[in-house]
Amino acid sequence: MTKKRQLIFSLVRGALAILIALLVAMLLIFISADGNSFGQRLSATAEAMKQLLVGPLFRINAQGIKFEGKRLADIFAAMIPTIFTGLSVCVMFAANQFNLGAEGGIMLGAFSSALVAIYVPLPKGLHALACILVGGAVTGVVMLIPALLKVKLNVSEMVCSLMLNYIIMYIIKYLMNTAYADKSKGQIQTYPFLNSSKIPALTQASIFTSSKLSWGIVIAALTVAAMGFFMYRSRWGYQIRMIGINQDFAKYSGMKVGFVIVLSQVLGGFLAGAGGGIEMLGRYPTFGWSALPGYGWTGITIAILAGNNPCFVPLAAFFLAYLGKGCDMMATYANVPTQLIAIVQGVIFLFFAAERFLSKYRQSLVVKTANEEIAAKMALAGGGGSLPQAGASGSQDSVKEGGKKDE
Amino acid sequence: MGDEANREEYIVQMKKIDKVYSNGVAANQGVDFNLKKGEIHALMGENGAGKSTLMKMLFGMEQPTSGEIVINGESTVLSSPSVAIAKGIGMVHQHFMLVPSLSVAENVVLGMVPKKGLFIDKEKAVEITRQNAEKYNLHVEPEMRVADIPVGMKQKVEILKALVRGARILILDEPTAVLTAQETEELFRELTALKKEGYTVVFISHKLNEIKEITDRITIMRNGRSMGVYETKDVSKEDISRLMVGRDVILNVQKDAAKPTDVVLKVRNLEYVNEWNKKMLDKVSFDVRKGEILGIAGVEGNGQKELIDMLFNLNVPDAGEATVNGKSVIGKPQAKIREMGVSLVPEDRMLYGIAAQASIEENVISDRCAKKELNKGPLFHMGAIHKLSEQLVKDYTVLCKSPAQQVGMLSGGNIQKVVVAREFSNDPSLILADQPTRGIDVGATEFIRKKLVELSRSGIAVLLVSADLAEVMELSDSLIVMHNGRIVAYFQDTGTLSDEEMGEYMLGLKEQTPEEIRRVCHD
Repeated sequence: MTKKRQLIFSLVRGALAILIALLVAMLLIFISADGNSFGQRLSATAEAMKQLLVGPLFRINAQGIKFEGKRLADIFAAMIPTIFTGLSVCVMFAANQFNLGAEGGIMLGAFSSALVAIYVPLPKGLHALACILVGGAVTGVVMLIPALLKVKLNVSEMVCSLMLNYIIMYIIKYLMNTAYADKSKGQIQTYPFLNSSKIPALTQASIFTSSKLSWGIVIAALTVAAMGFFMYRSRWGYQIRMIGINQDFAKYSGMKVGFVIVLSQVLGGFLAGAGGGIEMLGRYPTFGWSALPGYGWTGITIAILAGNNPCFVPLAAFFLAYLGKGCDMMATYANVPTQLIAIVQGVIFLFFAAERFLSKYRQSLVVKTANEEIAAKMALAGGGGSLPQAGASGSQDSVKEGGKKDE
Repeated sequence: MGDEANREEYIVQMKKIDKVYSNGVAANQGVDFNLKKGEIHALMGENGAGKSTLMKMLFGMEQPTSGEIVINGESTVLSSPSVAIAKGIGMVHQHFMLVPSLSVAENVVLGMVPKKGLFIDKEKAVEITRQNAEKYNLHVEPEMRVADIPVGMKQKVEILKALVRGARILILDEPTAVLTAQETEELFRELTALKKEGYTVVFISHKLNEIKEITDRITIMRNGRSMGVYETKDVSKEDISRLMVGRDVILNVQKDAAKPTDVVLKVRNLEYVNEWNKKMLDKVSFDVRKGEILGIAGVEGNGQKELIDMLFNLNVPDAGEATVNGKSVIGKPQAKIREMGVSLVPEDRMLYGIAAQASIEENVISDRCAKKELNKGPLFHMGAIHKLSEQLVKDYTVLCKSPAQQVGMLSGGNIQKVVVAREFSNDPSLILADQPTRGIDVGATEFIRKKLVELSRSGIAVLLVSADLAEVMELSDSLIVMHNGRIVAYFQDTGTLSDEEMGEYMLGLKEQTPEEIRRVCHD
């Protein structure tokens, strides 16, 4: 297929997946909507859909629709951890490594950063940096487990990393409950972070009046740019991508396949871990996560939506954060349960991951291109192109002649 | 035998079949194929000629892009193997589809298990298997585990499986590839017996002797097209091989006499036994010198692939040594082998040669992506990379819109030009060219052949493996012939050789003395 046809196909496919997901959402809302008559339910559904689609950015009331900076800030804030997990999954999936450790990774990164933030006094600025680097490094090292097992013993990195998530979570819970617990508090949490470690909020900008949005979003944007360069402009990213496309080719070309596979997973771990640190220091006064946060799973959806290209991660993250905010709005103003977001996400994910979704349409484009190419070749080759045809017509002749040789 | 009179006789007719795979490869183009009741029909062609694709469509595993399949006079859509089975078509794959941990009987009745209440009636299964084995004269041990039985019996289990499901048409995909001579003979006896009972057999193979021995008619395929249907008794082995590998390419390569100097590649006593216990390399020894093209001729599957794999460490030999400029290549990582100046144009270009979803540019730098001149600190020097890829696309006349175009979207010939551009441009001292022009158009073929001659005359050692007799005879300065994993002949000068003589060596009818063969080692 030509590049243009491929692009058209991806766009059609993506748009259709989202549309179908929204239709499913609409149907579910309609079923669960309040109201006795069909008309009442319909208007309730319309109200809910309005909140879902417009609510994330605008306040809707009797006076009309008004832009709300705080809501946009909330969306940006929600994007910080998922951009990092999205990038993490991109790097690992690009190498064809189905490592699902970003979920445990972001929790481990958050916890390790928290420990540095609580127990290691450092000057302002340097402290936050140290926290983030330690969070990333610890997670990167832990990702050596699935990576090395894969390379040395051919253990499935998917199973290994999936299980690793729960091991990480329970070890952290154990430590929170024992050695690092702030026993003066009623709930399970660590001691508060030292002030020097905190990532300040982005409150200077007037439209962002939300205290939830920290400078972390700027770090995330810079990381996206850096990862874009890494994946598409450096020899390491190049090798990761080539291994992902065709590992035999990479090996034959002389690349160190094992090393690059380990590299991709360690880097993926680092990104998830660093993201955990940034989220922790920018948003919370102390570490209190007692379960997996879910950002890693969202990261997988983002990486798939972005086609493993870091440059598209912010778009995908924005889209999912927007949907999430929309669901919050629906829950608040239209009395629709928040869990609906999981269904909408699930349906979109399903259609993106479904290889055969629209495969007939794709095949028709492929055939069209192939026919055009064959025709072009025939035209180009002129006499040469007619050679195989002579053979084909010869086949019929020979049948007619009862199998006599046609030459 | 008029065509009209025979219409009703055909139990299967595949008409004008086209198949385009989702990766854009046109595997079948306007192929006609038919079967008469009670015949053994050979389907011949090289790897990638489209035989398997055609048969997969007949067995419902793939759907034709266009064309019609008529079975017993009735136009049919074979949407899945189960539909094909219901129509009386059975297929035995080259790699067996059996459950190793189950018994022979359980495998035979799989999917149609006799039950006793909730449980499998094992005795009944054994009984069914025994009865059918007797009926079709296929000797198997119903109670043994499939994992424990020999390959020959596994194949019989597969055939039995198909017959028990009511198959009247059996498709056998390279059935003898894994069998010993005795097992092959036994299989032929059984197939002949089935034929007498009115069964129809499609026999995919590229072994000429077997085809001549057992089949009634032959369909020959090349490059996704049918080259015709022939009565086996009317065509000679030479005709078949000519139709299969094709000599319709007019060779137009000028070359001066070679002036070989020092030995570059030295191979001594390479031995390899494959996973099916077949000896693929048997004490293979030869030298390739600077400035010469040494060709390896032979029917495919006689150890050529294994030999090249060993030289590029895609496989490890059981014994023997291979050195390039005095340094061993056995077991060395590919990066090291490439550092020694070895380039490989791989036989399977889609598997090893390219990353199909990457751009032309990304494909030509795969072996040199860490080189200083292409990097600027931690990042790529994009300017240098663009310059290199544009230069290569120009030098090797790759037909494309730009080097940023995806390689997988190019035609076979242009894909091969991309591979060759990379492999020839990294300053090699030894080029291993394995089927360098297979399945590509005339223009690209001629271009690559000229390049090979040009490079060898500039002082590079070239080892050329090709199933195309014309190619290997006209390009090579000297030639070895492989048969059954052994070198059976060495010709210092290819100019005086005739096709007939070559054919006799290639098919194992003739063999040189060890002294004559030993001349290829220039010690």
